[in-house]
Formats: sequence, structure tokens, C-alpha cells
Amino acid sequence: MIDYLSAFSSSTGIYTIMNTPWGWPIVESMHFLGLSLLIGTVGIFDLRLLGIGQGIAYSDLHKLVKIGVIGYAINVTTGVMFLTTAPDQYIYNPAFQTKILFMFIAGLNMVWFYQTTSAQVKKTAALDNVTNRAKMIGGISLLCWIIVIVCGRLITYFRPPYHWCWFC
Amino acid sequence: MEMLARLENTTLSIWLRESGIAFFTSLTLHSIAMAFVIGVNFAIAFRLVRIVPEFELKPFLKFYNLYWLSVVVIFLSGCALLLAYPAKALTNPIFYIKFSLLTIGLIISRWLQNQMQIIKNNEFSRDKYFWVAMISVFIWIGTITTGRFLAYTNSVLLASRFF
Repeated sequence: MIDYLSAFSSSTGIYTIMNTPWGWPIVESMHFLGLSLLIGTVGIFDLRLLGIGQGIAYSDLHKLVKIGVIGYAINVTTGVMFLTTAPDQYIYNPAFQTKILFMFIAGLNMVWFYQTTSAQVKKTAALDNVTNRAKMIGGISLLCWIIVIVCGRLITYFRPPYHWCWFC
Repeated sequence: MEMLARLENTTLSIWLRESGIAFFTSLTLHSIAMAFVIGVNFAIAFRLVRIVPEFELKPFLKFYNLYWLSVVVIFLSGCALLLAYPAKALTNPIFYIKFSLLTIGLIISRWLQNQMQIIKNNEFSRDKYFWVAMISVFIWIGTITTGRFLAYTNSVLLASRFF
């Protein structure tokens, strides 16, 4: 897996970009920009589902989610750049593994929202509360993204031995 | 430099630097609060330049309590990070650029908050607020970038090593 990721990084030019003097911090800045777009849109929508900001129409806030999707795309792209440039620093890292797990849970939670609750939430009046299920989805989403940020910060703290991960 | 060395030898500074949890918690809270503050500013700026479909801005004011609470978290966690490594930040010009951009960004957001309180939604003309919104976006991008570059551009980590 490490070899495959390294080969991908070299063949696409990612490795070269990331190893320029300012490559890594510029991509890190873009990663945080994507995160801010995500938190400022999806995070606010989640808070609204939980009952904060009563009076703001759910459908209005939902219009911002498109920006969150752009933020997510920036994060995935820059995340792949980090991962493929230094795969051994990420693949074996428990903080990275936890981060990916919670991104996956957030994704499943989003699918659950759009399959079961989205239409109902958009129709809910601005002064009314959404259903408990919608609140739970909002809470799970917010918690997942906070854990993703915490794990993102933790990645730089862990330099685990390469044999840490039993399935890598 | 001698003053910075004295500062980093205080019990609080040593604790912030050497207790893993204190530094990590400050760093993480700083990131979460920063992401929220910048995210709210982006959302409002994109609404003003009509990148996202138009929506009522006035109710958005209800998020400002949480917004200013996040600013307080940024300030307190920033102070903790500064106190942990005072020489690392205070000898780096990038730190002063970040601090200036952050201050300008917050002044603009406070001005926009006042505008939302006094102006009706349909009076938020794109022409009038376009440049304010764009400047706000670029200032926040600058704040993020200088914040990240702080970790890579320091010439001094601890002042104590000079004494």
C-alpha cells in the first residue's frame, strides 16, 4: 500500500510539489481553508438542527451546504496530497485512522439525512423545531467533524512504530 | 530576548509547553474556534457576493453570540500558545501579520454585524458590499495562511537557549 501511494505521488507530480520549500505549508493552509468552509456551512446547519439560531429558515441555511461540499472536496484533494507524499506517517498513525473512520461515519450520517429527513427539515417552519431524528443527525454530524479536527491535530503528535497497525 | 527567556521559565509557560494535554488542548480549541469564525465570515461573504442563493441575513445574527464566544476562545487559546513559546512567535514577523489580519477581519465582521442589524435584507446590494465581502474573504485566507506558516518560519524556538 505504501509503495502504491508513493508511486501515485511521484507519477502525478504531487511529491515534487509537496517537497518544494513552501509546498507543505501552502497545502496545509488550503486544507484549513476547506475545513473552515465545511464548518462554516455544514457546522452551522448542524447547530441549527440542534435548535441554535431559532428563526433562521432551515431551507436558507441548507443553501450554504453547496459551499461545504466545495470545502470537503478541497480537504479530500489536499488530504490525498499529504497521504501520498508521506504515506508511512499516516497509514500507521492511529489518529489518522480514527480521522478517516469518523469521516466515513459523517458520510453515512449525511446519506441517512438525505434519505430520511432532508425533505421534512426543509419544509419545517423557521420557528419550529425539527424532529428528534433530525436533531440526532445534526448532533452526530457536528460531533464527527469535531473529532475529525481533533484527530487532524493529533496526527502530528503520533509518530508510531511502523508495526502498530495490524491490518496495514 | 532576556524578558522572553524569563517568561518561558515561568511555571505556567513550562506547564503549557511540557504537559502534552495543555498544549494540545489549546491548539485544538484554537483550530475549532478559528474554523467556526472563518466559516461564518465566508458564509456571509458568499451570500453578499451572491455566490450562494440569496437568504435572509437578519436571523443570522443569532449565531453571533456563539461567534464572539469563539473569538474569546481564539484569544485565550492563542494566549496559551503564545505563552508556551513566546520567543517563537514574538521574534517572527509572520506572527504580527497574522495578528493584524485577524484584527482587521474581526473589525470588518463587527461592522457587517452592525449593518445586518440596521439594514433590511433587500438593501444589501451586491455592488455596495461586494468589495467588503471580497476583502473579508482575502483577509481570512491570509489569516489561515500566516497561521500555518508560523509553524515553519520561526528562527528562534526558545529564548532560554541564549542565556
